[in-house]
Amino acid sequence: MTYAVKAARGFGTSRLRSFIVAGALLLALGASFVFSRYTAYQQVQQKFYGQALVPDSQAYDFKLVDQEGHSFRLDQLRGKLVLFSFGFTHCPNVCPTTLSDLGKVYRSLPERERAKVQVVFISVDPQRDKPELLKNYVPYFDKSFIGLTGSPEQIAQTAKAYGAYYEKVHTPGEDPDVYFMDHSAFIYLISPDSRWKLIYNFDQLHQTQKMVGDIERILG
Amino acid sequence: MKVCFFVWLFVFSIAKADDQPVKIEKAWLQAVPQVASATAAYMTIRNVSPLHLTLVKGTSEIASMVEPMITTVQKHQGHETMGMSTVKGLDIPAGGIVELKPGGDHLMLMGLLKHPKEGDRVKLNLVFEPGNREVSLFVDVLKQEPQ
Repeated sequence: MTYAVKAARGFGTSRLRSFIVAGALLLALGASFVFSRYTAYQQVQQKFYGQALVPDSQAYDFKLVDQEGHSFRLDQLRGKLVLFSFGFTHCPNVCPTTLSDLGKVYRSLPERERAKVQVVFISVDPQRDKPELLKNYVPYFDKSFIGLTGSPEQIAQTAKAYGAYYEKVHTPGEDPDVYFMDHSAFIYLISPDSRWKLIYNFDQLHQTQKMVGDIERILG
Repeated sequence: MKVCFFVWLFVFSIAKADDQPVKIEKAWLQAVPQVASATAAYMTIRNVSPLHLTLVKGTSEIASMVEPMITTVQKHQGHETMGMSTVKGLDIPAGGIVELKPGGDHLMLMGLLKHPKEGDRVKLNLVFEPGNREVSLFVDVLKQEPQ
């Protein structure tokens, strides 16, 4: 009996010990993995003002309709750094602010860099934002800016690929055609080789020089 | 003489407080394209009256509707979503300040009847409760928030 208990104990202890050792090893491995990923992230992040995607990812090649009514793919802009945001033209506050801030950033770039940058505005309100309307709205903030719209499905797919969210909100008791769009207000930066590199919150765009710094760093 | 002066000062200060329950600074209106149906006015409103005030609405010749709006931030599947919603009014406690700024709370101008061009000056009338008191001001139409 005593022997059996001892044996059991002995077995238990050695097994426990190997469990502990294995566990500690796994923990150390996991920790070093997390740490290495974290330092890799830190190394990239400290270079940029925008929120870095580490690792960066292939930018989703959206298929939409441009302000001239032609089909438009992100791939057409390969070779250019693309800054784009989602919004709608009936938006009184966030969208004009975003576009005018982007206009300021764009015009603050040296001419050589400006030629390599394209700003794009993607409507999340295809019901009202037809190409004609976008053509008269988006270039107001800078004549080089492009406005895109598309079918509700095309827009939904694009938004999903970039983790954007939008929703129609009716104002109670009003005309059914009077509505707002709630939407996430991020700006996405795609490098000339079609990698999704950075993301900005719309209020970060105020810092023109920091934005210019990121663009110059990516254009290298 | 001295007494006269103080009486004058007293009357004047009451009259002044009566004229303007608020002091408005840094007011401007976002310039938007001709086709835009809406824009927003931004400003700092300081309540210089002894009363709790509420900005309930506005009027302007250039828009069919002028309303205070608040910016809402909601989480959807972990993503922050910006929205806005109408409010009955924006409260400004006695001596307090309300800041209307891009991306934040703002005065929305909807149903634009006249296109506010950069460089224009637009008259806005703000209505405060209690007392349905109207305060008029001119705002510059700017393409960019002044630094």
